[in-house]
Amino acid sequence: MKGELFSSRWGLVLATLGMAVGTGNIWRFPRIAASNGGGSFLVAWAVFLLLWSVPLMIVEFSFGKRSRLGTVGAFAKLAGRRWAWMGGWVALCATAIMCYYSVVSGWCLRYLALALQGRPGPDGAASAWEGFAGTAQALGPHLVAMSLATLVVWFGVRGIERVARVLIPTLFVLVLILVARALTLPGAERGLAFLFTPNWADLASPRIWLEALTQNAWDTGAGWGLILTYAIYMRVREDVPLNAFLIGFGNNSVSLLAGIMVLCTVFALNPAAHEEIVGAGNEGLTFVWMPQLFAAMPGGALFMVVFFLALSFAALTSLISMLELASRVLMDMGVGRRVAVLSVAGLGLAVGAPSALHMPFFQNQDWVWGVGLMLSGLFFALAAARFGLERLRREVVNGEGSDVRIGRWWVWVVGILVPLEAVVLMVWWLWQARSWDPEGWLHPLGVFTTGTVLAQWAVALLALVALNGWLVRRQHPSPGEEPTP
Amino acid sequence: MTPVSWITLALIGGFVWGGFAFLLVRAIRAEGRKERRRERQS
Repeated sequence: MKGELFSSRWGLVLATLGMAVGTGNIWRFPRIAASNGGGSFLVAWAVFLLLWSVPLMIVEFSFGKRSRLGTVGAFAKLAGRRWAWMGGWVALCATAIMCYYSVVSGWCLRYLALALQGRPGPDGAASAWEGFAGTAQALGPHLVAMSLATLVVWFGVRGIERVARVLIPTLFVLVLILVARALTLPGAERGLAFLFTPNWADLASPRIWLEALTQNAWDTGAGWGLILTYAIYMRVREDVPLNAFLIGFGNNSVSLLAGIMVLCTVFALNPAAHEEIVGAGNEGLTFVWMPQLFAAMPGGALFMVVFFLALSFAALTSLISMLELASRVLMDMGVGRRVAVLSVAGLGLAVGAPSALHMPFFQNQDWVWGVGLMLSGLFFALAAARFGLERLRREVVNGEGSDVRIGRWWVWVVGILVPLEAVVLMVWWLWQARSWDPEGWLHPLGVFTTGTVLAQWAVALLALVALNGWLVRRQHPSPGEEPTP
Repeated sequence: MTPVSWITLALIGGFVWGGFAFLLVRAIRAEGRKERRRERQS
């Protein structure tokens, strides 16, 4: 393991922040906050930071630090050999997301290149997006994004740390520049009012809470297995709980800044279209509306470059962590780093290509594996319970190097609340898919159907359970027997 | 912006950004203590 550790706490924190801060902070949070009651949504979102994200981050850090193995080996070592398939699910889910996230990262890089050329203009933004997304033109940026991530992961944890040390502070500065510009636009206060005016009656709506929980599940990276992967490279006397809180709050700080930046820009420049803009979806907001808004802003060409640079940095640092996760799982099976990284990158390019070429395929994968992340969170909570939550708290969370003590509340949250939240979220998402397609909601080949989720999950879970013994035997070094109680 | 909006901004912003700043300072101080301990031991 020597030479494969983060050189300092700040290397670990910056790399993990890079993992957590992704496109979801910039293109999803502002839309979801705006369309779910603004101030009241923010209250629920802050609550679930403490009742989902941070507790699961603590679990992930503990698993990585204790096992020093990727998701499959960590689950086998800490929950027991029979449960390696759960770690396999976590790895599969994150890897499936990596395949299409490389396409998303490619979009961001492509629009950065366009912004540097002063394009797309206000009139051509919609046609530029339609002529690009879902066509062969999206393959080149997909290849560029995956190649950049491969280059970083090729050099191991030192490569990841070096890149994070430059990109993450720069990303924070870029976001602050954009927020400053947005706040100084005439009429920006209408965006602030829209984001921060609470309607307390909304808090009685379950939908607000479920959307807030979903946002936490998707944009903090908790329960994805990515934090576990970086925690493998923690120094021996490294803290767990304070780092988990720091990353959770750091991630949500960027989300809140992005919310202010996007909504103030929208309300200052095109207040009449705000409902249409926030309802345009992630890609519609980012690649169709933002170029139009920047075109109407004094100095907009420069700020559009800053925006897409920030988005590209956020996307790439998350893509890097996904590539490392899958590579680490192969490395635990005795594959060398370079072969593992090239294999995963090749797989990502091939499986991601249909998402680049066909938007419904991309949307289907985003739907299936996005909801799959909630099952990953559930598996983390169950594995931690198998190991013993109180034991994990005593021996790892509050163990050597810990800077703060975590009380028994964490045991209750991870043992009861997190599994409950995961189940409720999955049922809610799969149930509401009925209303999107009442006739064909069980169709396994639909884009946004419940059937497609259940069918793809069933194939994946059956394969992983069948391969459980093989997965455990291939672990190098082999994880121990059942954990002692 | 109504007074309620300003209060919500202060509360949410204070919780998220203030929390991040507080945790960052605490981590910096903890790291300083660990560094000094390492120097004494070496």
